[in-house]
Amino acid sequence: MLATIPSATLLGAEGRPVTVEVHHANGMPGFTVVGLPDAACREARDRVKAAMQTCSLPWPTRKITVNLAPSAVRKSGAGLDLAIAVGVLVAGQELLPDVVAGMAFLGELGLDGSVRRVPGVVPLVAAMALGPVTTVVVPAGCGPEARLVAPGEVREAGDLKTLAAALRGEEPWPDPSPDPPAEPPGGGRDLAEVRGQAVARLALEVAAAGGHHLLLAGPPGAGKTLLAQCLPGLLPDLDDRDALEATCVHSAAGMPLPRGGLIRRPPYRAPHQFASGVSLLGGSAHLRPGEASLAHGGVLFLDELGEFPVHVLDALRQPLEEGRIRVARARAVVEFPARFLLVAAMNPCPCGRAARPGACTCTDAERHRYAKRLSGPLLDRIDLRVDVPRPDVEHLLAGPPGESSAAVAARVASARGAARRRRVRCNAELPASSLDDVAPIRGAAALLFEDALRAGSLSARGLHRSRRVARTLADLREPDAPVTEEDICLALQLRAEPDLLRAAA
Amino acid sequence: MSGVGGRGPLLALAGLPGMGPARLGALLARWPAAEAWEFVRGGDLPGDAGVSDHLVASWRAAAAAVDVEALVAAHRAAGIEVVAATDDAFPAPLRDDPEPPAVLFVRGRLDALTARRVAVVGTRRCTWSGRLVARDLGRDLAAAGVCVLSGLALGIDGEAHQGALDGHGGPVGVVGTGLDVVYPRRHAALWERVASAGALVSEYPLGTTPERWRFPARNRLLAALAEAVVVVESGSRGGSMHTVDAALERDRPVLAVPGPVRSAASAGTNGLLAAGCPPCRDAADVLVALGLTTPHPSSSPDAGDGAAAPAPADAEDALVLDALGWEPATLDELAERLGVPLGPLAVRLTRLAGGGWLVQRAGWWERAR
Repeated sequence: MLATIPSATLLGAEGRPVTVEVHHANGMPGFTVVGLPDAACREARDRVKAAMQTCSLPWPTRKITVNLAPSAVRKSGAGLDLAIAVGVLVAGQELLPDVVAGMAFLGELGLDGSVRRVPGVVPLVAAMALGPVTTVVVPAGCGPEARLVAPGEVREAGDLKTLAAALRGEEPWPDPSPDPPAEPPGGGRDLAEVRGQAVARLALEVAAAGGHHLLLAGPPGAGKTLLAQCLPGLLPDLDDRDALEATCVHSAAGMPLPRGGLIRRPPYRAPHQFASGVSLLGGSAHLRPGEASLAHGGVLFLDELGEFPVHVLDALRQPLEEGRIRVARARAVVEFPARFLLVAAMNPCPCGRAARPGACTCTDAERHRYAKRLSGPLLDRIDLRVDVPRPDVEHLLAGPPGESSAAVAARVASARGAARRRRVRCNAELPASSLDDVAPIRGAAALLFEDALRAGSLSARGLHRSRRVARTLADLREPDAPVTEEDICLALQLRAEPDLLRAAA
Repeated sequence: MSGVGGRGPLLALAGLPGMGPARLGALLARWPAAEAWEFVRGGDLPGDAGVSDHLVASWRAAAAAVDVEALVAAHRAAGIEVVAATDDAFPAPLRDDPEPPAVLFVRGRLDALTARRVAVVGTRRCTWSGRLVARDLGRDLAAAGVCVLSGLALGIDGEAHQGALDGHGGPVGVVGTGLDVVYPRRHAALWERVASAGALVSEYPLGTTPERWRFPARNRLLAALAEAVVVVESGSRGGSMHTVDAALERDRPVLAVPGPVRSAASAGTNGLLAAGCPPCRDAADVLVALGLTTPHPSSSPDAGDGAAAPAPADAEDALVLDALGWEPATLDELAERLGVPLGPLAVRLTRLAGGGWLVQRAGWWERAR
């Protein structure tokens, strides 16, 4: 007897549809799983058998072969357990093929028959939707996230016994988990907490509005981390596509999802400077998404940029250019989405005391070594570079609170609207060829650029970047306003190169 | 003093490992260089020379590999003169020094040192205003006929040399490396110009690389050669303070340029003033300290209070310059002091920079005139 049950397996942050075929034959009793299963998947044999026995479901004393098709795709993890168990029941004629027609199953089995959650429910269910599936059965509690992408009905299964009873029609299906109320807005830090720091605040606003990557250079305690934490609060909600991609990545990484399942608010990720290349970019034997992908649609904050290994920073160039990370392994190439806003922070020099000219105690050699650790090609992709001095004591104690995130976010949203009318997501993506149209510069403003280019403080690439930043500055004043001399002066100021970077150049 | 002819043994002795000024001085005080060299080469330095057997052995090994003629040729090719402490040409101020060099390597005109001599020194991490002061001092002192000495380091030292060259003087650079090892590399051009207009002086043989521990010795030589030391900007510790200590040990007057009390680059100089050093406002103060009665016209002490200070035509530009003062400030700080938004201020600052009033370095705005 043969049963065919649809399910899915995870490859990177994407699901791949898998058909579980179960065949019962005469011969020596046994249980084989074929079709390129990994270790966890092959162990399904023991889990399924034990779970069925504890649930008093009959275990056929026949030769059982399970094939996971297509056999060229590596199957990983325990998510196929439930589909295998249902397949065994159908092939053993414990269940009629009709009752599982059009149904797909997902879940790991415990030895007691309970159905456990697996990472990647969202991309897995999305993959099942590619086949002729009308109902998806997922572990209890996974309903809300599965419903985000499910093709039809979503049912939840708490344990194998109840599931079998529900399939036979002996008992009603358990009630699906209700969609929880959406998460209240907020979270992250509010810009009102930042006192003083007018230039850094402006840089944050420009970064949020134009999607420009940002480098904050300042001594310890200047508030670089607080500034970075404010950034997600300035960004608009993710659009449907980005939200789904971000949710898939988080789901595949087994990260907790927000209430409601869908990630609407831009995520914030701050990997530690000792993070390995794999943890930052994704990969490993299980092809897990990295921090850069978890930051998709949101903010990737790299504190102490100079402490990250150079090869790790260099590897960030691909996502910065393409918004995706391709991880190639011998068996498969997987792609992770990774379009993030990069915020990097660093000390102005190893001693961190270069708060004012003359205060630094580093030797030239130390500064040179520190500067050499920064990846030049990475710095080249950062549009905004600002110095964050330690705030004055009077500011901290008596200064008025700054403008709130909400007020800034409103300006950011209208500036992003202007960018969409230019058919880009944000001004940082404006092609160089269109700059003359959307950000023309004339008269005194053009002279400024000319002077900067002549003085060598601006490169040709830097010119384009500064023009995009100037465009964003103008949009923040008033969407689609013409770029003025003021915007260009500020854009050049927001590119002020920390002393150190000049030493590196 | 006629080049390096006949100076082979001296050059060979100076280049031996572990040969410092004290040992070399002791050897040369007892024997002529050629005789001492023969002792070293043979490894039979008399036991009462105060040199350990171990060192005698290592000198003997090193001496076997020395080609005296090639050494002479190398120095001749590089245009370097060698002056021993026993020579007539040995600079007079070093003769009765507590720690005199045993031998000096000189490129350029050693007679530059016969003029009145002032060392202008300071930190490498200086402010823009410190650079301007150093350059002005160098220029005005040179124009008054004073020989400006400094260490050719980045920052204040380099500016002082540059100023002295602008003032058509013959500056003397006292360096801590061999005269063929340009350090810092960024000053290669300045190094050449100082050598051709004035002189480069070192107590180290050719090929000596920059080492941390040689710079205090260099600073000692700088202080010993100078009649007065002017510190333009210095942190509370650092090379300039070594020069000051060495100068005070030799009873040379030390002058300090006053700086803003909040400026880290002036912490050392302000400390010197507090300890009783006379202030140096301009070259005239230095000339008075030297007892010269020829104050430079442009730097007479009563040139007027601020009357000489230039001001831009635009009243608002003048306000911005006032708010900045002579201490570096960030765009943030300026916007706050003036109470104006960032945009218009950035435009104004950029224009002022274009007009040469301001410079911007690493996010800091500083006044340039």
